Amino acid sequence: MGKTETIITSCSHDCGGRCMLKVHVHEGKIVRIETDDGEEPQLRACLRGRAYRQRVYSPDRLKHPMKRTGPRGEGQFERISWDEALDTVAKELIRVKNTYGNASILLLGGSGSQAVLHGAGAVERLLAGFGGYTRAWGTPSYEGALFSSMATYGTMTTGSAREDLLNSRLIIMWGWNPAVTVWDTNTALTLAKAKEKGIKVVSIDPRLTESTAVFANEWIPIRPATDAAMLIAMAYVIIEQGLQAQRFLDKYTVGFDKFRDYVTGTEDGTPKTPAWAEKITGVPRATIERLALEYATAKPAALIPGWGPARGAMGEQFSRIANTVIAMTGNVGKEGSYAGGFMRAFHSRQMGMPRGARNAVEQGTPPRQNSLYKLRGAASPTSARIHSAKIYDAILRGKAGGYPCDPKLAYIVASNFLNSTPNVNKGITAFKSLEFIIIHEQRMTPTAKFADILLPVNTFMEREDVVSPWLGSPYYLYMNKAINSMYESKSDRDICAELAPRLDIADYRDGRTDEEWLKTITESTGDIPNFEDFEQKGVVKLKVAEPFVAFREQIKDPINHPFPTPSGKIEIYCQHLAEMNNPQIPAIAKFLPTSEGYNDPLSQKYPLQLMTTHHKPATHSTMEKIPWLDDIEPRRVWISTRDAEARGISYGDEVLIFNDRGKVLMQADVTERIMPGVVNIGQGGWFDIDEQGIDQGGCANTLTPSEHSPGGAWCANTVLVEVRKA
Amino acid sequence: MCKYCLGGGEKSLGNTDMQIGFFIDQSRCTGCHTCAIACKDWHNIPAGPVNWRWVITVEKGKYPKVFVAFISLSCLHCAEPTCISVCPTDAINKRQKDGIVEVNQEACLGKEACGLCKEACPYEAPQFSAEEDAKMQTCDLCVDRWDEGKKPICVDACPMRALDAGPLDELEAKYGALKDIDGFIYAQKNRPSVVFKAREPEFLDSPPNNNVTPP
Repeated sequence: MGKTETIITSCSHDCGGRCMLKVHVHEGKIVRIETDDGEEPQLRACLRGRAYRQRVYSPDRLKHPMKRTGPRGEGQFERISWDEALDTVAKELIRVKNTYGNASILLLGGSGSQAVLHGAGAVERLLAGFGGYTRAWGTPSYEGALFSSMATYGTMTTGSAREDLLNSRLIIMWGWNPAVTVWDTNTALTLAKAKEKGIKVVSIDPRLTESTAVFANEWIPIRPATDAAMLIAMAYVIIEQGLQAQRFLDKYTVGFDKFRDYVTGTEDGTPKTPAWAEKITGVPRATIERLALEYATAKPAALIPGWGPARGAMGEQFSRIANTVIAMTGNVGKEGSYAGGFMRAFHSRQMGMPRGARNAVEQGTPPRQNSLYKLRGAASPTSARIHSAKIYDAILRGKAGGYPCDPKLAYIVASNFLNSTPNVNKGITAFKSLEFIIIHEQRMTPTAKFADILLPVNTFMEREDVVSPWLGSPYYLYMNKAINSMYESKSDRDICAELAPRLDIADYRDGRTDEEWLKTITESTGDIPNFEDFEQKGVVKLKVAEPFVAFREQIKDPINHPFPTPSGKIEIYCQHLAEMNNPQIPAIAKFLPTSEGYNDPLSQKYPLQLMTTHHKPATHSTMEKIPWLDDIEPRRVWISTRDAEARGISYGDEVLIFNDRGKVLMQADVTERIMPGVVNIGQGGWFDIDEQGIDQGGCANTLTPSEHSPGGAWCANTVLVEVRKA
Repeated sequence: MCKYCLGGGEKSLGNTDMQIGFFIDQSRCTGCHTCAIACKDWHNIPAGPVNWRWVITVEKGKYPKVFVAFISLSCLHCAEPTCISVCPTDAINKRQKDGIVEVNQEACLGKEACGLCKEACPYEAPQFSAEEDAKMQTCDLCVDRWDEGKKPICVDACPMRALDAGPLDELEAKYGALKDIDGFIYAQKNRPSVVFKAREPEFLDSPPNNNVTPP
């Protein structure tokens, strides 16, 4: 019997948490996983991290490089050697480059690894060194929130430290469910403490989520995609009562007058009263009035605009109006307040690889239409990129369809792309039309089945990396390697390093080993004085003098600390947007009717509004088919008792959820916890489309539209469907 | 003959040197199931019907006035466990030093031949795998960890710090002696070794006429 070792690492998938795993390894095998029991704040892992052993040893793990033998997508493969696999990949990359040019190489890099060294970034470096590639813009989760954050505040760093919520007098969780999405480790714990302290918590959400159940004193259900209307009516009440923080507005913002003219109806003849909003939102006018007064007078108050309500066909308007109402009440830059926006808090998330070669395909291209190209700090606004929701259309139509290139080859890494992108059926058609598909994967996902060459990748348990939390809380985790790479799998970086000489790229590693890179990267944060200590302890928790609150300096000393916007102020009216002269992205936030909203004419045919939220055991599609987790919460569609009764549906019945894009078969969870007229599917289920075209795997994206808002938000929560008993 | 009589007479069980139990904070539990997964991992229990720890959802009311809460449960190491009373082979015992309920699987007759403990327990804590001659298993309060001075894995796992374990009298002194909460009935006969903090029993405030008609 050998000794059992304990190795410290962290999950690095696209989960809102970033937590410590203490991995017990016995004779080269993971036997148990514990979590942080050290100094506070402990970074305790959730069910997904605790179940990770079953993912490492999943029967779905890819063991060897493989090449396709049957029709694409059927999952028929033959084992080949690494040499043959890499030679084929190199040959195809060179062929496509020579035949069509680098822009026809499409890199579909996903969020499967959030750590610094491995994942999509490894292939970005390789392909940049190869003369460039085309990539996507438009992040599935947050593009609406990001666009608004940039337009209003000029930065993504607009959040506050978790513990600062304890300084609030009122917390409004607007479409925000951190009990499931985690939203940086210990957010849920802090909300529980806030409630225990007597701080009132209100939740606005079409569903009674876990967060609402446990942290909220009040639940206000609202129709999806109408949140902006409720916020505008709250602004109406605040203006009518003269409760806006006028001195704050005068000193720190621009454009409130124009917004007021819109709200009161001076601009368009429609006063945006609570009665106006009641018809749109389904929220009683008295509730809107009361919440507006409470929010305007409970100072400081934290209105937290979740990313979910901004995942819609006019998504950015929700976030823009939330930022505006927040500024109207002066809840910016002060302890206990909350500025909204993108909500990054602290800078740990800025840790990253130094930039490698530039992507030649993007060099010298003009900015994208509708982009906030004058602002710096978000992703590059180059027009050479294709929106992630439009990738399939771009593959099918190319330059003739107005896209920047004719994609011929897809290189997929850290992404279950077909499963995670809207309109699966369109995606399958598009993928079948490509000349070649290369995929790095850990397990046989629905996307992996579409590879021509499938390369087995190791999990984070099998390699070294460093990682910081989603929203930049003040800590870093060192991901020690727990076990050797399983089967013949390799890291993304090792694969790229072996491809490099085949592509005539000299020294992919830039003369440094992985460990030397990790040292360089951690030193560049300025927060980690001793690399060896970091590696050994696995964590650095920074002692911060006061909780991070975005814009403290801008509020305390505006002369020397302007906001990073063109005007130097909070832009309620955004000049950059005004110059676009696009009524779909107005310079002030507005409520705009949306496609596939509650009153779209399509609702005659498909009367139910589908939301596609996070599924507790899943981490998008990463933790799918993990037996322990599958037992916890089977995938079911939430439907209200009233809508179920009207359709003769009982709890547990097999039902078909469908629209013109696809059909999904699932069991019904008939519940009082969702607003009538709304149904919900947790996203991430692995699609499994049968001969009748019915998805037996519960994949929400079988139903979602491959469209985006003018600002780039996915339409994941503006989806109309009908449900019937199967 | 009533099958419960197989066990043969009354056994006095409440005389252990002390009793270890659980504290469960329903007001904090978000139903995340981390405790249940950590338990499965620590004790190497495969997916399927055997759950030493599980989480229930308590739901009441009609939209939009709905009460939702969660409770993490396991064997509660009763002072007077009915599983022990009914066991015909004395396969279940309470440790004298701390009252932890232990199972001797070699003595257990199995779920097909017997299964009396499962029926006798008000909380369905005795667990059996799907195998035909499956023997009873249940939460052992992580005796291995306890002996090392550590709390059970579920307690150390909970991201909400909603669980605790320790001598029951100490838990009562620290957290109070609440025994009945929404979704859990304290069985007087068994005297489960548990104290709770309840989620406030009232429904969430919600707008009175929120039953909007879909367009």
